[in-house]
Amino acid sequence: MPSEQVISKPSRIATRQWGIEPMDADIAAAREKFLNVEFDTKTFDVTAENIVEYARACGEISPRYTDPKHPDFQAPPTFASSFIAGRHLPKDYPRFGGLGMDAGKAIAPQAPVRPGTITGKTHIHDIYTKTGRSGRMVFTVIRMELFDDSGTKVADADTRTVVRERPTP
Amino acid sequence: MILDLHTHSIKSDDGRAKVVNYCQWIRTKNLPIDGFVLTEHRQFDGESDYSTLARQFGITILKGSEVETEYGHVLVFNVTAPLVAEFDFARIDLSLVRVIEACEKHGAVAAPCHPGRKRVGMCAHIENLGVPKGVKIVEIYNGGSRGDEDDQARAMAEREGYLGIGGSDSHIVSHVGRCATRFPAPIGSEAELADALRAGNFEAITYRNQAVGD
Amino acid sequence: MTVGKITEVEFGVELPAFDPDTSMTNVRRFAKAANWMGPRFTDHEAARKEGLPGALVPGIMSQGFLAAMIHRWAPDAQIEVVDTVFRAPVIVDESYHITGVVTDVDEETGKVEIDLTVTNDAGETRVFGTATVRLPR
Repeated sequence: MPSEQVISKPSRIATRQWGIEPMDADIAAAREKFLNVEFDTKTFDVTAENIVEYARACGEISPRYTDPKHPDFQAPPTFASSFIAGRHLPKDYPRFGGLGMDAGKAIAPQAPVRPGTITGKTHIHDIYTKTGRSGRMVFTVIRMELFDDSGTKVADADTRTVVRERPTP
Repeated sequence: MILDLHTHSIKSDDGRAKVVNYCQWIRTKNLPIDGFVLTEHRQFDGESDYSTLARQFGITILKGSEVETEYGHVLVFNVTAPLVAEFDFARIDLSLVRVIEACEKHGAVAAPCHPGRKRVGMCAHIENLGVPKGVKIVEIYNGGSRGDEDDQARAMAEREGYLGIGGSDSHIVSHVGRCATRFPAPIGSEAELADALRAGNFEAITYRNQAVGD
Repeated sequence: MTVGKITEVEFGVELPAFDPDTSMTNVRRFAKAANWMGPRFTDHEAARKEGLPGALVPGIMSQGFLAAMIHRWAPDAQIEVVDTVFRAPVIVDESYHITGVVTDVDEETGKVEIDLTVTNDAGETRVFGTATVRLPR
């Protein structure tokens, strides 16, 4: 069967399926200002020890992940997820009046992560809402693109956060 | 006729299952269900046509919706264009009573789902908002229930005299058919499903903790 | 039993069951290696003070468990996507089971889709997700 590849699907469905509800002005403005604009670059030092410890803790048994002397030694494919620690948004990103919760994570590995320096470049990938009169849920998909020393893309790591706005009295 | 009345596909924002894979799964695992209803979150998927798949696999595939009200989430069966025009499916703050009224006006049936679940289920909201008018059917077996959520749902149904349906609330392929509803006669369309629900002759069933399928 | 090539994979097959090590010792080891330290992951008392039922197994650790299960089943599988939805907390020092089943096989591209779940002893789904992996043809 053909497969449709999805990593953090765009917001097409929920709010605009019927074209009834125009997008809220603040969301439209946030999308205009922040979508696909890189706002942060970080570097991460990856050591063989980190990789082995991570792999063992996860239950990996292949020497490819647990033995630094293996000719194809590399981090497990989910390793890059750990670079997106904490709530990670542009400084002037709207807070939408609530606490952000982690609604899910997706990782799409594209090349091996090996000991060395990994660079993570982050942008807001999607912003959408579920709308209500008494408050909204605002979803933000944050994507970190990860590159190795040679500039090869090693992974896309997505975090979906949701803010439940408190109703305004 | 046994139908899983509560499933999600990739058309829902948190759904990860393709409809073709549901069909394959049901056949490969010899699940004891004859079909399922796609109840995508906060929308009615008017575009998708699953009739070819339905024929190919000999499985009944119907479409409904799961909308959000002040009493939590509510399944809607037999969604038609006039019903879609009555309220905005995308909102998360619909009025349950109005949803039920609109359904009755247009031949649809509304049934609050996973009522025992915090925040998105009806039981907790009754304490604050009172018993809503017009509810006749609630979901008493939900495949995603945790703890005593289904027990609470059954207790409320008994207390209020509601009929009970079952659905898997599947978001991934292998969760389809965990719970379902048995009807006495075949059902071939959304309208027939609504008729059968109104007739009230059905039974919620759960296959959880049984060696069926997975 | 492991699989090598895409042609060995059947629709609906279950991956060998895998009970992850969610002990505090192991979670601390993970948190250190992944640079994901925080009292809510490594200290039951601190987590309870935050209103949590206990210290949390990090979501990214559940992802790591799921990948390890896939590798134990198909050592040469290239994992292309792991997408997880965190439905309810996974608590340190409680026991969990990880399951995986094949829900799509494409022999032409070598791609396999797998449903993944983390369930507790009561059979409740705490984390679900899907993975797309590629196997040699």
